[in-house]
Amino acid sequence: MKLLKIGISGVRGIVGETIVPELVMDFASAFGTYLQTKKVLVGRDTRISGPMLHEAVLSSLISTGCDVLDLGICPAPILQFMVRKLEAGGAVSITAGHNDLKWNALTFVDQQGTYLNVFQGEEVLDIYHLGKFDKAAVDHLGKLERKENYLDSYFEDLKKYLNAEAIKRASLKVIIDPCSGAGAGIIDVFSRCLDFELIPVNNDPNGYFPHDPEPRPRNAQEVASVMKVVKADAGFLLNSDVSRVSIVTENGEMLSEEFTFPLIANEYLKRKRGTVITNLSSSRMIEDVAQKRKCPLMKAKVGQSYSIQTAVNEDAVIAGEGSGSVAVLEFQPAFDGFLTMGHILEIMASRKKKISELVEELPRYHIVKEKIYCPPTKVHSVVHEVKKLFSGRKMDSSDGIKVEDEEGWVHVRASATEPMIRIIAEDKSKENARERAEEVMNFISTLVK
Amino acid sequence: MNRATSLKISVSGVRGVVGESLTPQLVAKFAQAFGTYLGRGEVIVGQDSRQSGIMVKKAVLSGLLSLGCKPVDVGICPIPSIQVFTKQAKAMGAIVVTASHNPKEWNGLKFLNKDGLFLNYHQVEEFLDIYHQGEFSLADVDKYRIPENEENPTEPHTKKLLSYLNVDSIAKGKFKVAIDCCNGAGAVLAPWLLERLGCRPVLLNCVPDGRFAHHPEPLPENIAELCRAVVENKADVGFVQDADADRLAVVNEKGEPLGEEMTLVLAAKHVLSQEPGPVVINLSTSQAIDDIAADYGVPVIRTKIGEINVVETLLSLEEKPAIGGEGNGGVILPAIHPCRDSFTAMGLILEYMASSGKAVSELQNEVPRYFMIKDRIDKTREESYRLIKELRKKFTDKGESSLVDGMKIIFSDYWVHIRPSNTEPIVRLIVEAPSKTKAEEMVKLWRREIEGISKWK
Repeated sequence: MKLLKIGISGVRGIVGETIVPELVMDFASAFGTYLQTKKVLVGRDTRISGPMLHEAVLSSLISTGCDVLDLGICPAPILQFMVRKLEAGGAVSITAGHNDLKWNALTFVDQQGTYLNVFQGEEVLDIYHLGKFDKAAVDHLGKLERKENYLDSYFEDLKKYLNAEAIKRASLKVIIDPCSGAGAGIIDVFSRCLDFELIPVNNDPNGYFPHDPEPRPRNAQEVASVMKVVKADAGFLLNSDVSRVSIVTENGEMLSEEFTFPLIANEYLKRKRGTVITNLSSSRMIEDVAQKRKCPLMKAKVGQSYSIQTAVNEDAVIAGEGSGSVAVLEFQPAFDGFLTMGHILEIMASRKKKISELVEELPRYHIVKEKIYCPPTKVHSVVHEVKKLFSGRKMDSSDGIKVEDEEGWVHVRASATEPMIRIIAEDKSKENARERAEEVMNFISTLVK
Repeated sequence: MNRATSLKISVSGVRGVVGESLTPQLVAKFAQAFGTYLGRGEVIVGQDSRQSGIMVKKAVLSGLLSLGCKPVDVGICPIPSIQVFTKQAKAMGAIVVTASHNPKEWNGLKFLNKDGLFLNYHQVEEFLDIYHQGEFSLADVDKYRIPENEENPTEPHTKKLLSYLNVDSIAKGKFKVAIDCCNGAGAVLAPWLLERLGCRPVLLNCVPDGRFAHHPEPLPENIAELCRAVVENKADVGFVQDADADRLAVVNEKGEPLGEEMTLVLAAKHVLSQEPGPVVINLSTSQAIDDIAADYGVPVIRTKIGEINVVETLLSLEEKPAIGGEGNGGVILPAIHPCRDSFTAMGLILEYMASSGKAVSELQNEVPRYFMIKDRIDKTREESYRLIKELRKKFTDKGESSLVDGMKIIFSDYWVHIRPSNTEPIVRLIVEAPSKTKAEEMVKLWRREIEGISKWK
């Protein structure tokens, strides 16, 4: 079975299997046809297959008559920011985020700099399926311009938004591991922007990833191992497009990526009350934080498109996911790894606290994240079957199945990126969390042989 | 059906109309088929200066990258320079984004093998089979290569030119040369090369932005601007290149176009006077070449139309050939590279001017004078085929004939060649005679003949 996932705001697959020039061109042509506007931005992460997709996207957008500003290798949040800054009609982001090297993907961004919503995405898909793309005659072909030196414009705004003075005064020493992704090299600009001492790890955008580009404890070994040696104040891991961050404390504790969002929300909601958006798979920590700060909390389906769209529609102030993604809406409606790191540093600086101390302020839960293989054709029916296991209990079936009680919860859903069913369980006790997950896994394994 | 298609796949590559047939998807598939044919390795990618060049080239790059090939992008570059570079770089082959002299809405791909030569019929057939089968050797990411840009792709070509030509002799002439690159790929090299040869260039349309100031075919009717410039600047000679800089036409010091046939005639006369050897030309090339070759006692070998046919014959000769080419201004000097090369043509003519000490109009008057008329009649491939068949039935016993490519008949006082074009949905009618009147009369006669056949068929 070849892997191809068509999501609401783009398409993701395995390079050489489903991600081939023709498919990329068809999708990019569909998007160019959909936009009916002149200016489109294009950026990518560093993965080795990037140029193949990049050239295909540029060619197709030009052929539909779109003028293209090519940002080259560019973190997704900066690309999204530049859409508004340059008043473009949209953008194509070429990155598979946290997926390993064999994956790549196109994500389509609208003129607000947000991932396409369901309605926009469906329109693009309709054009794709119809296969009728705009074909500009030679005098109306799009123009291609390579955009240079745009980073300053983003980082100037970031510096203005954050309390840069306080961060500078704190003279922090920070380790960042961009996993040789789109953040590589750009974290140096980031450190100059906020005046902290940077110790970079895997900072070479060579096309390959030194470890899985998913920011979570099991990939944090390198950062953790140098943390104490260099006496750093904080360590950060980024995914390949800088939309997610996980944290390592000054003691070398590799924090679950679940902490990133609540850590920021806990502080941010003090100064800015408002609705909080998260998803069904995220830790209860954020619910507790929202409750403590007396802010309403809403849950969206998993994925940046849903979270941000809900946040925009509900006029929320902050949105985030347990995967280490955070969007602060007054800065920009996008999951933004630089803003996320900046916020953490700002909190450390302004409250003069160590990360481990800030973590202590949060309730501790134990979360278990598992996944189990399931043929793509059966994934949704198997998830549906899990309902039987919980018959009679209160269920949320807005995105897979989630069953909750006082002590904890378990969430079962089809992966948006792989032929997998994800099982996420959380409980106050570690054993119970594991037990909740295993109960479901055992049940699924009887269905999938 | 009489519809002329906007896509043409032939031995000279692929050509299509941007906005109609030539889509990124189609281009990528051709690049993938070619990369599959070559195998994984370095592939040179270049382009002429057409506005659609970037769109097409990006699609080529994507297609090659998907196979694990490593594209080396040489940017806008004359096609002969790409040919020399491909051989020198030891690449697997090259794809050139160009539609040669077609109007600006066209673009296309030409394919080169590792020797920097166009694919021959057999190679094209093998490669097209792969295209039609549609199974390409797609690479996994671990086989992916990082593309490269080449900043100085004309260097191997210019090195060869400068070592072959008698630069000192040319420089002594201090020639004032009006050069019209038609805003094509030649513009990246021609002004520099002329300076290097000690000439004083007068530049016309030397910005390689693809905005063709006139039709990019260097025919007399397209080069009025150059003729004026020669007179106004009191230049010794005027040169005009086509969009990919393989062909050259010449204007004499009086501002009169010589006709593109004369480019090869003058170049051949000069080369033969220095080192006689066989001459290889195609069926449509001027009779003047035969006359000159006879003076030097060297054989003339005629081939089918198409650069590759001339080149293959050149390379297959036992005796070292002196020169080859086509009457359309395509001069092929094997000592530089077996390809049509407007820069070689320029160099040879300048060298001839220098060594003879004569003006271009004088050189022109020294060669036998013929008048050639090239006409075209819209016909689909199928119609062309039927037309040629009927013509052959009716006329082949009327004179000395050749059926190698369409039908050519040599009469005692003129010759006619009728053949289907490889690149456009037309039939070409070419007549050459010692006088203009005779040539015009014969064109009329043969047009009527063709129309007659088309009617009763």
